[in-house]
Amino acid sequence: MSELLQFNLCLLAFNCFALAKFNHYRDVFKTRPSQKQSQQFIIVAWISILLSLLLCVVERQGYGVLLFCGYMALSVLLLMIFYSFKASWVKYISAVNVTLLLLSGSYIAVI
Amino acid sequence: MKENFFRSMTWMHTWVGLLVCWLVYLVFFAGTVSFFRDEVTLWSKPELHSISKPPAEPIRIAQQREQITNGIAYLANTAPDSSRWRISLPTTREPQLVYAYEKPRAEGSKRFGGWQTYIINPETGEATAQPRDSKGGNFFYRLHFDLHYLDARTARYIVCFASLFMLVALISGVVIHKRIFKDMFSFRKNKGSRSWLDAHNVSSVLALPFHIMITYTGLITLIFMLFPYPALTAYEDGLKGLFNDVTPTNIRTKSSTQSAPLVSTDYILDQVYTNWQSADLTSFSIRDPNKASATVTVRASTADLVKDQTPTMLFNAVSGELMAQSAQELTTSEVIYDSMTALHTGRLANPLLRWLYFLCGVAGCIMIATGCIMWAKRIRERMKKDQTASFGLKLVESLNLATLMGLPLATCAFFIANRLLPVSTVQRADKEILAFFITWLAVALFTLFKRAKMQWYLLAWLNAVACISVPLINALTTKGNLVSYMLNAQWALFSFDLVCLVCALLFILQAKKLRTQLSPPAPNTRSNRVTKPPLMEQKG
Repeated sequence: MSELLQFNLCLLAFNCFALAKFNHYRDVFKTRPSQKQSQQFIIVAWISILLSLLLCVVERQGYGVLLFCGYMALSVLLLMIFYSFKASWVKYISAVNVTLLLLSGSYIAVI
Repeated sequence: MKENFFRSMTWMHTWVGLLVCWLVYLVFFAGTVSFFRDEVTLWSKPELHSISKPPAEPIRIAQQREQITNGIAYLANTAPDSSRWRISLPTTREPQLVYAYEKPRAEGSKRFGGWQTYIINPETGEATAQPRDSKGGNFFYRLHFDLHYLDARTARYIVCFASLFMLVALISGVVIHKRIFKDMFSFRKNKGSRSWLDAHNVSSVLALPFHIMITYTGLITLIFMLFPYPALTAYEDGLKGLFNDVTPTNIRTKSSTQSAPLVSTDYILDQVYTNWQSADLTSFSIRDPNKASATVTVRASTADLVKDQTPTMLFNAVSGELMAQSAQELTTSEVIYDSMTALHTGRLANPLLRWLYFLCGVAGCIMIATGCIMWAKRIRERMKKDQTASFGLKLVESLNLATLMGLPLATCAFFIANRLLPVSTVQRADKEILAFFITWLAVALFTLFKRAKMQWYLLAWLNAVACISVPLINALTTKGNLVSYMLNAQWALFSFDLVCLVCALLFILQAKKLRTQLSPPAPNTRSNRVTKPPLMEQKG
């Protein structure tokens, strides 16, 4: 479950990095992002990616860094596919991403 | 020298990359397959498929003492006079228990006589049918740095040279890629060479830490071959002295002819478990059993530590005294070398990380493939209509087609030969390898004559058929198939078949895409009919 949390944090981070960009935001929401929105996306992205790295390292040390690099590769690949071929799906993917993030986070917090 | 730094770097990236791209593609391809070395080996030996996965750690470790004791008894009965016994314990990746002894050496020879192995089902303790002779995943593992037919040392020098070029290409690639983060998620489809550049950039950037790590650590694993001078200076017996120094368990006792009984296995194992609580043992070997010079080597798993050197203990097998053990505390340089080797080999990886390694390896293959295709494509685009292609361009196009499409086909041929060659064939493992190289050679010869889009299209279909054939022939020639593997939770075998089908699907998509480019557009305008060159002559 912790792997799911780490990966979802990483995916969220890269998704926010992508949405902070004008062209990707426009592809998904059909409008242009405001300066404030872009900044907010970047802040969330940095917090999320650092949290993912932190969780990986705290739990698995050196092995965690390797996992984190793998999560980054997988996240970028998934987002590249969706943004390039199915930009309309990004909203749903983001919803699934956040849901899984909350579920895995809650599960770890409870257990 | 080019007029500015950026142009110099671009020039270097292009030429350094192009010069070795086909060799680096082979190294990356074989290396990526060999992340699943044990799983591929398991698939290539269907006789082992009935052995179920060993239980989870606490139970498996609890069984190890009994397996070792039984193994010693088995080998003492089977080969009491052999000079070496070895018991390899089941792991999650290699579920079989192996008892082995060294076959008698030729008269007067000091050369190793080879292992006689017995595969034991750990659940029943019974010997299973001898598995077919196949190198399986080990072939791809050795291929990725020994290049098979070449002398190992020469091949390793060539691979190191190519890796160095790859590292230069990676670093110069980062320098010349001005919009590295801006273009991170961008792939513009159907835009000709722009799409190839996007594919090249995305596949490079998404696994950039992996590409740099795997290339750099690849060089580091062979650093003592490339740069042995410090060791040659510091040790009288050179590298051998260095390795003996850093591996205290390398001690070799002089063989004795005097017989002496072995100490109880429990006495040795008690010491092992006292030193390493809950150790997950991987092997137990005895040199000179039943002789006064007998020694026991016990090896344990490194689990998921970023560490390659196996924890080892060496005992006197007659007195049970601990003679040496691997260093508990490593020096900084040992830690750096050891962890880099561990990072490169990925032996530490659990299934999740192994798949991530595989994904990054595939990204590396795509990065190299798109790079070399792009070079040829751009040259073609710059050519005038009536201009004929240069020898260099033809050579690059031939090598692209032969390597990028020939290697997957050759790999399929290897797996198909594994299933179709009779089990009793002499030197069977070598014949499988021959099937691999003959297929690749056939594709290479084919590309010498034609390398247009039509040939890419044909080879895409051929690859698709070959990829589908692998699980299909497996289902026809063995008791298992994709469905049964899934129902029996044989995930390694299931994944193997599934990857073949996914590859087949990708080749079909490639063929369909090429088909649309091959089919003539509707002749609705006069200009279309007049200006378009014959499509069969358009290059890939």
